[in-house]
Amino acid sequence: MNKVLIKNGTLIFPHSNQMREADVLIDDGVIIQIGSGINDRKAETINASGYLVGPGFINLHVHFREPGEEKKEDFFSGSRAAVKGGFTSVLCMPNTRPPIDSPLLISYLLNRAREVGFINIFPAAAISLGLEGKMMTDVGLLMNAGAKALSDDGKCVKDSRLLYRLMTYSQYFHMPLILHEEDVDIAGEGQVNEGSMAVKMGYRSLPKTAEDSMIARDLVLAHSTGANVHFTHLSTAFGVKLIEWFQSQGAKVSADVTPHHLLLDDQSVIKYGSQAKVKPPLRDKTDIVALKEGIQRGIIGILASDHAPHTDEDKECDFNEAAFGISNLEISVPLYVKALIDDQFINWLDFWKLLSFHPAQFLGLTKKGILEIGMDADISIIDPETHHEVKVNEFASKGKNCPFNGWQLKGWPVATIVKGKILMKDSQLEV
Amino acid sequence: MKWKHKHLLGIDQLNGEEIKILLEKGSQYRDWLEHSPKKLTRLSGYYLINLFFEASTRTRVSFEMAGKLLGMEVVNFTNELSSLNKGESFRDTVRTLARMKADALVIRHRSSGIPLYISQFLPFHIINAGDGIREHPTQALLDLLTMKRDGIDFTRNTVAIIGDILHSRVARSLSIGLKKLGSQVIFSGPPTLIPKGIEILEGQVVYPVEEAVRQADIIYLLRIQKERQEAGFFPSAKEYAHFFGLKEKPKGADGRWKKIMHPGPVNRGLEIGSSLIEEENSLIEEQVSCGLAIRMAVLETLILEGRMDE
Repeated sequence: MNKVLIKNGTLIFPHSNQMREADVLIDDGVIIQIGSGINDRKAETINASGYLVGPGFINLHVHFREPGEEKKEDFFSGSRAAVKGGFTSVLCMPNTRPPIDSPLLISYLLNRAREVGFINIFPAAAISLGLEGKMMTDVGLLMNAGAKALSDDGKCVKDSRLLYRLMTYSQYFHMPLILHEEDVDIAGEGQVNEGSMAVKMGYRSLPKTAEDSMIARDLVLAHSTGANVHFTHLSTAFGVKLIEWFQSQGAKVSADVTPHHLLLDDQSVIKYGSQAKVKPPLRDKTDIVALKEGIQRGIIGILASDHAPHTDEDKECDFNEAAFGISNLEISVPLYVKALIDDQFINWLDFWKLLSFHPAQFLGLTKKGILEIGMDADISIIDPETHHEVKVNEFASKGKNCPFNGWQLKGWPVATIVKGKILMKDSQLEV
Repeated sequence: MKWKHKHLLGIDQLNGEEIKILLEKGSQYRDWLEHSPKKLTRLSGYYLINLFFEASTRTRVSFEMAGKLLGMEVVNFTNELSSLNKGESFRDTVRTLARMKADALVIRHRSSGIPLYISQFLPFHIINAGDGIREHPTQALLDLLTMKRDGIDFTRNTVAIIGDILHSRVARSLSIGLKKLGSQVIFSGPPTLIPKGIEILEGQVVYPVEEAVRQADIIYLLRIQKERQEAGFFPSAKEYAHFFGLKEKPKGADGRWKKIMHPGPVNRGLEIGSSLIEEENSLIEEQVSCGLAIRMAVLETLILEGRMDE
């Protein structure tokens, strides 16, 4: 059966700012009809009454760990976690082993994505060969092979000349850059946010200045070159201010925030230990407010979760030795609901823009992020009301490293459709 | 008519009429080169010093030959064997040369502006054979001569100059010359190698390279230097060849092959596909012969007609 009919849902049209109750009919991977009272006996039907139905969520920042660290995550486990989390497309960061710095490796990843097959897995390629921050990768050849963006995520590009040249050069190929900002000389061996918690716990600190100074440098570079630059996992109030000012000057810069930087401050490290150890580190309450207001005012246009699965061995150890990162792909949507909808910073239309329409535009995915006839039938359906408990041991992801275990959340995805196929229905995975 | 310039420091100093005079004379010499034996006496008794501080085959040899064909005595000065290596300053070296009482000095130097600088105190005709990334006027003149002899109508002609515009004195001189004759100029290549401020050259920047090729009548490819990759202007030779090199013979809307030019020396398989160099639509080898002819025209014009009181 190729047809799917979604009945009686509240449809969200983020590109045209509309919400209304209607049905959606899908055939052969494409949306073919939107309207009231659609009936099709040949179609598999999903009753979406009381649910929100919109274009599939796109996560610009995940670590699926292939190749090289499949014990943390692989394309299969990561894809299942994505479906559970309502994500129909993901962009995989290239800091794998080896790093994704050649067209051959992009081809390999796309072959793996085809093999696993059920969600849209897009690869990002490295900015620098071997993530060493020295020589630029073959931007054009990587694009031809299928890379959607460039990033040295996990590392900051220290060499200003490299980034300056790259920002100029990559525009020839319309290739967007995603930057992880952290001045390594300032960050040093820092583990947590600079401040009273670090003093109390005796952990070395990773000051906001390490992030802000690099954001400032790269905003200047982006402004001067005209490059399309995206700051991922933004965590500071000053970062929001800097980006806002450069946006007002016409720089083509954007940013995203993770759910944990919206819900946890650095005091969480005391409570959750290494499960709350992440880069950038969890910051202060004032930063959380500034990030939420930044989202509300459109300065931060994308939500991306930085899903960073690790094994227990990598996390359950000496705090200073523990890996940075949080596994959150399947709970990101309800976490964002808690941080942004419950506190009335944004409405559902904004929510869908931040998680679907804007990331689709950023990646140049013209058939995604839009609920309209002729668009790809990638659909996320969420139940805005019912509360469930986060149970890490039920994660589809291999990574159980998550401080949110036991939290009561609402706004869970209940059905996920990718390329016209139902991959989750009634909260049950079908893959 | 009297030639009003003492030196040839750049194309920028010439007007369209003056360029045409040099091209006319150069064209006659180009015809004359087909005959042997070749020896003229127009400049016999005049001395030419070839002063090359940078590597060169084409330019140095063709200036030497041009001088000799016109009957001149030619002295070649090379940096390696000079007193500069004994610590003498550039200015003192040049002033020493000044006492040699030659008539013309051809100079190539890595520093932009050197020909202008020495023209202020040397009593010779100074001919710029390439200064840094500023000008290379005889290259532009030979390129224009090659186009003229290929039957190009400059007023209805678009030339795409592709590659390392940023570091190219050839691109500067040629585009200035083309504009003075009424041609349209297009620049393309990696954005890192197209300088901000290029508007001063009055060309249009067109991306991607394929579009620049499509819009042009003549494709002028620049030599790409390995150092540019090392300095991070583009990632690799492979990528350069794929996106910015010319791989196929470009065909016009009228079905005719577009002409290809290159100042040399060529990196085969990098900025230009190896097989394209010797195709019938390539003017690359003819450019060398035109280079000799135009340098004869320049030497003769400056020495016999050029003002010495400038």
